[in-house]
Amino acid sequence: MKKFKELPFVKKVGMNRIVLMFVLVLMYIVFGILTKGKFFGIKRIISSLNYAYFLGFLSLGVTFVIATGGIDFSIGPVMFCCALISGYCHLSYGLPLGAAILLSVVIGMIFGMINGFLVSYMNVPPFIVSMAGMNIAKGVASVFTKTQSVSWPQLAAGGWYRNLVKVGNVPVGFFILIFFALICGIIMNKTRVGRYILCLGSNKEAARLSGVDVKKWQWLAYVICGIMVGIAAVFFVGAYTTVQPGYGDQYNNEAIAGAVMGGTSMAGGIASIGGTILGVFVIALLQEGILALGFTKDYQLIITGIIVIVAVYTDIVARRRKN
Amino acid sequence: MGEVILEMRGIDKSFPGVHALNNVSFDVRKGEVHALMGENGAGKSTLMKVLTGIYTKDSGSIIFEGKEVEFHNAREAQDAGVVIVHQELNMMGHLTVAQNIFVGREFKKGIKIDDKKMNEEAKKLFDMLHIDIDPTETMSNLTVGKQQMCEIAKAISHKAKVIVFDEPSSALTEAEIDELFKIIRDLKKQDIGIIYISHRMDEIKVITDRVTVMRDGCYVGTLITENCTKDDIINMMVGRVIYEEPKSHSMVPEDAPVVLKVEHLNAGRLVKDVSFELRKGEILGFAGLMGAGRTETARAIFGADPKESGEIYINGQAITIKSPLDAVKNGIGYLSEDRKRFGIVVQKTVAENSTMASLERYIKSIFIDKKAERDTATEYVDRLNIKTPSVDQLVVNLSGGNQQKVVLAKWLVRNCDILIFDEPTRGIDVGAKSEIYKLINSLAQEGKSIIMISSEMQEILRMSDRVLVMCEGRKTGEIPIEQATQESIMNLATRDVE
Repeated sequence: MKKFKELPFVKKVGMNRIVLMFVLVLMYIVFGILTKGKFFGIKRIISSLNYAYFLGFLSLGVTFVIATGGIDFSIGPVMFCCALISGYCHLSYGLPLGAAILLSVVIGMIFGMINGFLVSYMNVPPFIVSMAGMNIAKGVASVFTKTQSVSWPQLAAGGWYRNLVKVGNVPVGFFILIFFALICGIIMNKTRVGRYILCLGSNKEAARLSGVDVKKWQWLAYVICGIMVGIAAVFFVGAYTTVQPGYGDQYNNEAIAGAVMGGTSMAGGIASIGGTILGVFVIALLQEGILALGFTKDYQLIITGIIVIVAVYTDIVARRRKN
Repeated sequence: MGEVILEMRGIDKSFPGVHALNNVSFDVRKGEVHALMGENGAGKSTLMKVLTGIYTKDSGSIIFEGKEVEFHNAREAQDAGVVIVHQELNMMGHLTVAQNIFVGREFKKGIKIDDKKMNEEAKKLFDMLHIDIDPTETMSNLTVGKQQMCEIAKAISHKAKVIVFDEPSSALTEAEIDELFKIIRDLKKQDIGIIYISHRMDEIKVITDRVTVMRDGCYVGTLITENCTKDDIINMMVGRVIYEEPKSHSMVPEDAPVVLKVEHLNAGRLVKDVSFELRKGEILGFAGLMGAGRTETARAIFGADPKESGEIYINGQAITIKSPLDAVKNGIGYLSEDRKRFGIVVQKTVAENSTMASLERYIKSIFIDKKAERDTATEYVDRLNIKTPSVDQLVVNLSGGNQQKVVLAKWLVRNCDILIFDEPTRGIDVGAKSEIYKLINSLAQEGKSIIMISSEMQEILRMSDRVLVMCEGRKTGEIPIEQATQESIMNLATRDVE
């Protein structure tokens, strides 16, 4: 095992990610056997990928926040808030579809800007900011839509975003997610934004004393998260069309679970975009498998909760061993 | 000296990529003070962590009171009677002294905690150690020295048979060190074995019976303190003799321009109306006792803490410094005394740490030019002689002295004209120390202006061109190096301030 860890390939990809890929394949096989083969086949895969699209964007966004050592529990409800308000504008005020999509992203960004401002410039703990932000997002959405659900138009079977680019039956959303993941990966690993986010997540005071404008970069992490949440909202309605006010909490846990499973440390300073994407696929496959086995969604809530705890605990143990 | 109470034989411990301990043997007798010395990264702390069960040894044996033992955590070691008094104190500031000493094993009356009994027991402990501390006092109100005495009392209350002192004197004043030594002598009389880790050679001579030296994870040898000289010990530590005379005259040319001028700086309790000038190529020593406000002054100048009033001029221009960012833009770099907390980002590599203060220079369009970054880091790793397998190594894996050099590299990459060194050699071994001195001197020769805060009198006298002395937040004097003596500095450092 030790030798395996030292292999250049393993070092490059990361042990964590290799384990996750292994887990994905294993889950697929186990679900396949348990459902007597019904799980195999393109339909289930596409369905779980559908789930992964919007969750992927949430997870990518929250990865930046977690990398700073913060947390955001408002992403799910904010995503719903974006979808509700922009959808309502589209349906009731005749806002063109393209503008509604843009509006959704802008609303997400505004939430990110406010959250980030409170956390980095006003020093309010991220936990409190996001808890309060969660309720505010729900409330704002309800008030705006007069507590009615909003149904985005379904331009094509299985989600209108396929009309953006037509490639037969291939889930285009998957490639869009990978495209955004690549951009996030570049931001995180190749630019100043990512470098400073990771530095301040690891040791904020040292970064500050090196002349790094830590407040600005920390704020930016929340803004990036907000933008990704706004995009997630677009993909959510693309797959599921209808959004109800007052919901969205469950996606917080799933998105955070995806990120921490992928190797992003809750203590900040370490983040992996590729890991986040793999983590999201695990969550998505899990939800699909549970439904295929005939269990209700409640079981998925339980399992996701456990995953978060196990993933965070593993991170803590690994960290302790290193020191 | 009594019989051997604790013996460590052939201890081996490896971490990924590092052979931290290589067949190390060490023993302590009843009623002796045994010094453990060695450069940073020599393996002293690792050995003590193996002893107290924080690390698991790969091989070797620990024999305590004639029986082979293996502690799995600090608690087990403590219960058996092996206790560490840490360099950084682990105290709960809001609780009282007695509550701190008996934390985790409070006396109880039914289900109620019996504070009265705890206070009485604590008082008994203090009386036994001849320490004058009120057990009902809140911990955070005590001086660092007194807090350390409480740690010692706590160790005694655990019926300690072996006490490890990990650089106990680094935060103490001279008077407090005398107190500490009195207590250690008392402990010796009670047949307690004491392991004393310190870098201060003079203390070793005064308080210890034997000295064991480690180097690069290996046991080098053990000397009887009485029969050896400082140079003997240093030779074993580094394999070469280093001693330099104090600087006799200022190296700064008469006409060197004033680079930094600070006027009437006020910031909090410990910076009151401080004014001074710093000239090009000058090393200005900041002397004073703990709590004199030297670090606070530096942090205020650097923008790390807010200022109340005062002007700062660089090259004659008045400038505003509201944050470290402003300071860095104006060419000031600050090397903190606590590099772990304020200097380095441990999860990042040597290369990434070196460019942290000047990353904008390594941006090509929007991307970080990692090749240029690594080239620069490689250049400084060579120039500063940083011991690391590669520039991609995480800084967390380097020893203290090398981490300090990485911090220095960060500011040199930035090309700062004014460098503030805050205790540049604290917790750094003799060999690395002289390297750092050489570096500071060559920086001054290149025309950099340097403020060097130091609590070591020898360091101040050896390095400074001029000495500024502070006491209780005020500047109490400036002495040209030609006239500076230990006595004259100490006189100003302890002067009564109206």
